[in-house]
Amino acid sequence: MRKKAWLRTAAGLTAAALVLTACSQKENTGTSENEGASTPSAGWPETAVPELKEGKKGGTFQLAITEPTAIDPYNAQESEGILVATQLFVGLTTVTYDGKTEPGVADDWETNDDCTEWTFNLKTGTKFHNGEEVNSESFKRGWERVAAKDSASEVAYHLDGIEGFDEMQAGTATALSGVDASDPAKLVVKLTDPNCEFYIRTSHTVFSPMPSTAGSPATNTAFVDQPIGNGPFMMDGPWQHDVGIKLKRFDDYTVQDPAYLDTVEITIAPNGSQDEYAGFQNGTFDWARMPTPVLQQARSTYEPQGQWITRNTNGMNYLLTMVTQKPLDSAKARKAISLAIDRDSIINGVFKGSQTPSTSLIPPVFTEAYQEGVCGDCHYDLDEAKKLAKEAGLTEGTELTFQFNVDAGHEEWCAAVKDQLETNLGLTVNMNGVQFTDLLNNEQQPGASGIYRAAWGADYPTPGNFLEPLLSTGAIGAEDNEPVTGDNRGRYSNKKFDDLLADALKEKDDAKRITLYQQAEKIAIGDDQALIPLWNRTQHRLANTKDFINVRMDFHEDPDLRVISTK
Amino acid sequence: MGKFVIRRAAQAIMVVIAATMLLFLGLFVLGDPFASTGDKVVPPATQAILREKFGMDQSVPMQYLTYLGNLFTGDLGIDLNQRRPVADMLGVALPNSARLALIAIIIDIVIGVAAGIIAAVWRYSVWDVLVTILTTLAIGLPTFVIGVWLRQTVSGFWIFPQVPRTFTELAPWYTEVLLPAFTLAIVDAAFIARLMRGSMLEVLRADYIRTARAKGLGERTVIMKHAFRNSIIPVVTYIGISIGVLLGGAIITETIFQYNGIGFLLYRSILQQNQPVIMAIVTYAVLAYVALSMIVDILYAYLDPRIRLS
Amino acid sequence: MTTTPDPADTTTSAQSVIVESAHADPFAPPEGETKGKTKARGQLADIWRRFKRNKLAMVGLVVVGILIVLALVQPFISPYDPYDQNLLNTLASPGGDHIMGTDALGRDLYSGLLYGLKLALLVGVSTMLGSMFVGVALGALAGYRGRFSDGIIMRVTDIFLAFPYLIGALLVVRTFGSGVTQVIIALVVLGWPTAARLMRGQMLALRESEYVEAARSIGASDWRIVTRHIMPNAIQPVFIYSFTSIGVAVVAMASLAYLGVGVPPDTPEWGRLINQGIEQVQVPGKDYLWIFPSLAICITTLAFAFVADGLRDALDPKLR
Repeated sequence: MRKKAWLRTAAGLTAAALVLTACSQKENTGTSENEGASTPSAGWPETAVPELKEGKKGGTFQLAITEPTAIDPYNAQESEGILVATQLFVGLTTVTYDGKTEPGVADDWETNDDCTEWTFNLKTGTKFHNGEEVNSESFKRGWERVAAKDSASEVAYHLDGIEGFDEMQAGTATALSGVDASDPAKLVVKLTDPNCEFYIRTSHTVFSPMPSTAGSPATNTAFVDQPIGNGPFMMDGPWQHDVGIKLKRFDDYTVQDPAYLDTVEITIAPNGSQDEYAGFQNGTFDWARMPTPVLQQARSTYEPQGQWITRNTNGMNYLLTMVTQKPLDSAKARKAISLAIDRDSIINGVFKGSQTPSTSLIPPVFTEAYQEGVCGDCHYDLDEAKKLAKEAGLTEGTELTFQFNVDAGHEEWCAAVKDQLETNLGLTVNMNGVQFTDLLNNEQQPGASGIYRAAWGADYPTPGNFLEPLLSTGAIGAEDNEPVTGDNRGRYSNKKFDDLLADALKEKDDAKRITLYQQAEKIAIGDDQALIPLWNRTQHRLANTKDFINVRMDFHEDPDLRVISTK
Repeated sequence: MGKFVIRRAAQAIMVVIAATMLLFLGLFVLGDPFASTGDKVVPPATQAILREKFGMDQSVPMQYLTYLGNLFTGDLGIDLNQRRPVADMLGVALPNSARLALIAIIIDIVIGVAAGIIAAVWRYSVWDVLVTILTTLAIGLPTFVIGVWLRQTVSGFWIFPQVPRTFTELAPWYTEVLLPAFTLAIVDAAFIARLMRGSMLEVLRADYIRTARAKGLGERTVIMKHAFRNSIIPVVTYIGISIGVLLGGAIITETIFQYNGIGFLLYRSILQQNQPVIMAIVTYAVLAYVALSMIVDILYAYLDPRIRLS
Repeated sequence: MTTTPDPADTTTSAQSVIVESAHADPFAPPEGETKGKTKARGQLADIWRRFKRNKLAMVGLVVVGILIVLALVQPFISPYDPYDQNLLNTLASPGGDHIMGTDALGRDLYSGLLYGLKLALLVGVSTMLGSMFVGVALGALAGYRGRFSDGIIMRVTDIFLAFPYLIGALLVVRTFGSGVTQVIIALVVLGWPTAARLMRGQMLALRESEYVEAARSIGASDWRIVTRHIMPNAIQPVFIYSFTSIGVAVVAMASLAYLGVGVPPDTPEWGRLINQGIEQVQVPGKDYLWIFPSLAICITTLAFAFVADGLRDALDPKLR
């Protein structure tokens, strides 16, 4: 009998485990007891931007970033790289924290009637960190350094449209034929197509001037790790990869008011926002991003102390829709999808209320162009969604592809969207998380259908930088049976929309141009629902306002280091 | 003996070539490294320029031959992301990994050998039972879980500050390395303890130990001089192999602790599809593994003549 | 001794790399030692008798039994659908309606763990069977045929063993896309060489034995000799070794998932649950999110390790 003792024990334990768990599956409903999770409306308000006060020289500002690709403007691309490049260099124009274009090295600029030739009048006497004077030749040199084939810049395409660019990329020319620097105080740029917004483009760091010592980034790699620029800060020693970057104030900076801070220490933290947050908590860093899960508690701790910054920035999160393929080849179908997504509950449940639902493609940061509610179907309306779905043939069990890129924090809200589409419309959503390059590749294929997680941020502060690359016919860059080569991977194509954009680029008057953009957005988003806006890009930061004044977030979501000062 | 060494070396070279070739082909599955910057696509013209720059416009066999050729001249190429020489990146990461491996091995040996001897000498004592229980637990628990637990609980206390410092502030060397080293050491130490115990028990039963005791040698001399020296051989073999594995980069442990060694570098490179870096690290890991197992075999052959005769 | 062990067989198994130690080797019974111990009849009973004496192994066996039963009845005892989200009740603490709380999407963690258990056992057992099948076939071929096929197969195992496990697994999973089957394929691809080597050692030892000699002398075909005479004797140690690889496979899948490779991201797999739980580490009081799944892994791997340990001791009494 003893022999079977262990068997009996096993059976007993199994039975106990069975009893412990309930006999039938329960409905997963009910709300949580913790406050805040079910607040009715989503989104936290923007915090006030501090008025600039007179500062004093001195002090060290500490922050952390993840390792950037490059800090040399020729290849600086992500927010971290741009952060450093913006401190080291200043171009013809600059962007203010709220997205206005202001004079930089260029005092003013003019253009011919069809906006194909631009003349920038430069400030004289401004200097590089090594004392060399900044003149029109410096700009020509910098731009050619980016356009040169040898440099293999991944962001060279910003220069597309300048005469001679294609030849340089092909390696058949060594100079930009469209850039004339014969007068040191005047830079004349010829464009291949009209662009009345070209001056806005030149605020991007890729348009930075370069001193004569820069050389080619392919050969002079020392310069790439320790660039000599003309910005308010200069490198204090070379970039220590995976360790940190040290900047010090450039005292001869005359393009704008010089900086107050003596030094800026940028620590490279492998763990990203988790490290930044922990470092802010223990007083190491004066500026920090935060991982999404802690936003709620961090806000309740730091907002009362005035150390919290919330801003809507120049980005948009949306669902890319394949508008030429079933089942989303009709505006009704796309609207049904949009109406079936309960943005508020996702924002409250997954993002703890930290995002703002979006009702347009052009985000509110473009105060003049922003049209709240231009997407009339960017809200949750189950009845309407069901009605439109029925009309569009989105029947029960219709299969819908939904892909997103993994390891970037999208798992949870994408799972929530899938769940809502299945529950609300009865669709069969084939959700698939893939690597980002695979996502891109899948989106580009001719037969691609369904919805894809997407986000877009503007490179320069103009609404056109949303509409043109994402939705213009030209940005498909391929025939129907070829993979897309541009950023319009949904293959939306509308003649009227394209014409409005073309007109906008030929319109010299800012206000009229914006009206044209608004009309275009109304067609693509309001009428055609060419893509499905989800929520605005809202950014939250912790800022040490106890020891520093003038701490604000710039257009690239980084601290505006030039104006920060110790108390 | 010479013949055996040559045969074994030839095998090793073949394995390296085959493994790298396999990897080279495999890497193309990872996808196109030049497709995008951030959320934006790279225009086709730029992609073509990038491919040409990094020699990826060539056919795959050609690329592999170029890679092999460069390998012999010690040129590891430049990485696709920051365009730094891969050799420089390894130059930073390798010493870090080596330090981690070294400390882990020291912890291994100290804990493992000591526990093994104690358990064998005082067989069936409380200590023996304790060693058995602890080693069983250590072997059963996955490194990955041990690492996560240590990171989540121990780190942050005492000499393990979890909170980041600014890079200008120098930290004592041990703050970063001890926890991952301990994570890596736990499982190996348990194995060494078991091996040591088993081997020691076997040796203690041998005739020459009885002879030594009969001669009236002290127990201490018997154990340390005779038994220890004869029972350490399997442990040495094991340590040799585990050095090889550790030097090959502890990708999970380094990633859990964000430790700046080649394992973490490899992980990041995979995410970035930074093929030259992946190639370099894996080639290195294969080399380290093959070389060490070869050395172990040759040592074995040297110690046991029967092997080299086959 | 005509068949000395190949020194290359002292190399570590591929799986050990995933746990970042070289530990699989001591598991493998020394080759040649099993020779002559194949008393054919009563061996199983012998092993069982010795196994029973090991209390830890018995505990392990009981736990393994419970886990298997739980995995089998998972759909009936799971309190909630593990995929069922409730965005109004995210990150609920353990207790009340959800005994282990809910995750960031409001999914019931306990249901997720049960589902994860099913996945873990499925992957563990499939990997073991797959590796064993491939390993035994190729190992037998190498060991019995010798010469040419032996050389080729052994060099191939060399390559696979030298290849960093994680990279290999990652490439295989990337090639076939993410999913449970893909993970199993990856683990089998990287797991068979150890089984093959063990099998080969057995074959080498047995093909020279007297009874095989006898079978050959009466004109039995190779196929018959291998399948009828050698295989039954050779396969037991391989099977018992393979049993230890179940735990290894469970950890391997979790490690891969922790690194973001393998099963689809919304699958309640233990490694993924840990990874997602760790994202909440800076929120006080949410530690249970990673503690529960890691405990699940520990219980499973420990139970299998105990059983494997007992099996090994039972198989090779010399070690006791």
